[in-house]
Amino acid sequence: MTDAQRLPGPLTGLRILELADEKGQFCGKLLGDLGADVIKIEPPGGEAARRVEPFLNDMPHPERSLPFWYYNTSKRGITLNLETADGRQLFQRLAATADVILETFRPGFLAALGLGYDVLHAQHPGLIMCALTPFGQTGPWRDYVTADLLHMAAGGEMASCGYDATDVLDAPPIAPGGGNAWHMGCHYAYIAIMAALVYRTVSGRGQYIDVSIHEACALTTESAIANYIYRGEVLQRHTGRHHAAGPSPRTQFRSKDGKYVTALVAGRLTPRYVKDLAALLDHYGMAGDLHDAKYQDQQVIEANRDHIIDDLVGNFIASLPAEEVYHAAQDRGFTWAAVRAPEELLDDGHLQDRGFWKQVEHPELGRSFVYPGEAAIYNGSPWHISRRAPLIGEHNVEIFCEELGLSRQEFALLAESQAV
Amino acid sequence: MTLPRALEGIRVVDFSWVRAGPWATRWLGALGAEIIKIEWPENERGRLPSSTTPQGLEANLNTSGNFNDTNVNKRSLSLNVRTPKGLEVVKRLIAISDVVLENFSSRVLQRWGLGYAELCKIKPDILYVSMSGYGHTGRNHHYTTFGPVAQAASGLTLLSGLPDQPPAGWGWSYMDDTGGMYGVMCVLTGLYHRNMTGQGQHIDQAQMISSVPLNGPSLLDVTVNGRGSRRPGFPPGNRTHWPGTPLLNNYRGPTVAPHNAYQTHPGGYNDWCAIVCHSDEEWQRLVQVMGQPAWATATQFATLAGRLAHQAEMDAGIEAWSKTLDKYTLTERCQAAGVRALPVQSAEDRVEHDPQLRHRQMYRELEHPMLGVHKVQNAPFTLSATPVFNHLPSPLIGQHTREIVEGLLGYSHDELLAGYADGTFWPTTRARFPYLEEMLQ
Repeated sequence: MTDAQRLPGPLTGLRILELADEKGQFCGKLLGDLGADVIKIEPPGGEAARRVEPFLNDMPHPERSLPFWYYNTSKRGITLNLETADGRQLFQRLAATADVILETFRPGFLAALGLGYDVLHAQHPGLIMCALTPFGQTGPWRDYVTADLLHMAAGGEMASCGYDATDVLDAPPIAPGGGNAWHMGCHYAYIAIMAALVYRTVSGRGQYIDVSIHEACALTTESAIANYIYRGEVLQRHTGRHHAAGPSPRTQFRSKDGKYVTALVAGRLTPRYVKDLAALLDHYGMAGDLHDAKYQDQQVIEANRDHIIDDLVGNFIASLPAEEVYHAAQDRGFTWAAVRAPEELLDDGHLQDRGFWKQVEHPELGRSFVYPGEAAIYNGSPWHISRRAPLIGEHNVEIFCEELGLSRQEFALLAESQAV
Repeated sequence: MTLPRALEGIRVVDFSWVRAGPWATRWLGALGAEIIKIEWPENERGRLPSSTTPQGLEANLNTSGNFNDTNVNKRSLSLNVRTPKGLEVVKRLIAISDVVLENFSSRVLQRWGLGYAELCKIKPDILYVSMSGYGHTGRNHHYTTFGPVAQAASGLTLLSGLPDQPPAGWGWSYMDDTGGMYGVMCVLTGLYHRNMTGQGQHIDQAQMISSVPLNGPSLLDVTVNGRGSRRPGFPPGNRTHWPGTPLLNNYRGPTVAPHNAYQTHPGGYNDWCAIVCHSDEEWQRLVQVMGQPAWATATQFATLAGRLAHQAEMDAGIEAWSKTLDKYTLTERCQAAGVRALPVQSAEDRVEHDPQLRHRQMYRELEHPMLGVHKVQNAPFTLSATPVFNHLPSPLIGQHTREIVEGLLGYSHDELLAGYADGTFWPTTRARFPYLEEMLQ
């Protein structure tokens, strides 16, 4: 442990109540890993996200879901049945101790239980409440049912991702995997919550936040909207590279080991670039005619663009393993990279130098596992995984009895009446 | 009554260019922070070259549509920071600012004499957020990225595509958009921490690094189960599982079927609808919506295992039906029955046809002095007490130099003129735009 890791995280002292399913759990993780006390409130029996594969050793069990593990680090967990009067009352007591409530229920659900923001805010004016939902609290699609794939469709991601017809004929638009619609919603939810918290440090006031995942996704297609608004263009999908109004040169090349390299060459072909490219290829004896003085003329370069890209760059990359091309090119100033699989990141020396991988203890299993670490290094107030994802109701006694002051007997009665 | 803004009183010195950094500061501006964009016309990346200049307008530093959308809510100070005088001006600005943000390569600000230690001498509690490609530490800190390169190196590209085909990847710089998000997140988190403790800090955000945690479940499958992603059936297109390959989860939520994009009427390039059923019950509802075709009522489709085993046949059956409806009608019919369906939407669809985005006023008009009135993308959230909105079009380059240098920093008009004469505020060899001439009157 370095000195920096002993400092408290930037959100130390904040308490977050998280009532979130797969849509919002990543936002809670971001807050928790940065030091907030995130209390995950699950229905008795546990959140549905616990049933998502893959599982530890492929054995289905609510305490063995790897996505659940990943998205719920640095949280404490309690169970609470909000559909009972006792459960609601306990929730109100907890809310009085919280800075932020993050919830992903369908619009109107909490208000119908008498737990809407107006009620909670009246008791606690500094409270911030963030509702993160598929479409926000208003509008004609407000009650539509969704999935990650559906958001990638309606948000515009799919319209930009896919294949050139020369690579895959009649390919559908493709939705990138990995649950990124939820990531997009959670990033914006985190931003909205933090803006409200910064404002509260100067005003003392809480507020209500309405985040729409659909809007977050619709915002995340770079220039596609500008191309339409300013030029009326609807962009075409291209294999492994940018959407574009028309044809564009390829940027993805197969390497000797059957992998791929992303090499952004087109659009950058100046005499200086060609000279550097010749030096890179020459190191492997593959410069071909690239040293020819004629390539110091921009027009000659343009006329030979396909030759340079397809023959010279293409053959160079085909002659080497992807990882070797990546480092050789980057060391000479080329903005290229190997298209890597997750398993290939574990050996990445740069990530190791930055202390990126973290050991997380799972005491109930007597084991620890390697987790991905921080998106950014906070030099003055470090990011830190404080604990593995909570087991179902793991902190019920700690929070209900030791912190809220319920007696063991009261707690037992609540458990019996299925409030917790 | 005018409501306050969440970041009122926060001043950001913004050295960022291209996309990720400017996308970050745009949102800080929408939240009410004052954003001062430091630019130099000889060394500009983001305004040119522009493939989003409207037809009929000259492509110059002030006519990129994408730049406009990416740089609303900012003012522009044109300044050569690599001269002693320019450096003095920027230090005076930093001394009265809260945040310094940049997205250069890892050693640039240090070379300019503006490394974190130096910034602290100017403003002890400064928050410095660097948004480089690979971070300021680690053996590859000098490597450079664009979105697609960060996506390739981090594993994001490989998540997208059909099995046994090259990666389809992301059709844009997802990590410029998302890197920008992390930039905002770092600034706000650092500001909260500063307000609570009085301490500033350097936050080292990096595009390639921020990509990696987005692959959490697939990385845990490696570190916990020893299972990599180079395997038959991965990535599974739009499905959760590719027929004929081992039945493994592919990191896009529960393994279910149907889970695919289906072509819709009239069969144009973006006439597709995504349909997902998470349970047998949802599948039965879809069968109802489809009018209970004979093939769909066969027992082989009644269970998840059956639908996964006969996915190709099932998808063909669904598509035969989906092709008879346009994507919005299909969406409405499915949703009315509680079936998960949404249309694939192009940019045109989102701006013109999406009733939800229209209701939520996702695109509101803003006037830009060169581009005219155009729709600009708004925030995907509302804050009840502190409204979030775009209040300024993107700045013309150097548009606010005088008001910042004279008004904010207290230099005299003669000093401003001297700075134009000696190349501090504009290259002496470069023609000045008419609005700059006016500013010097």
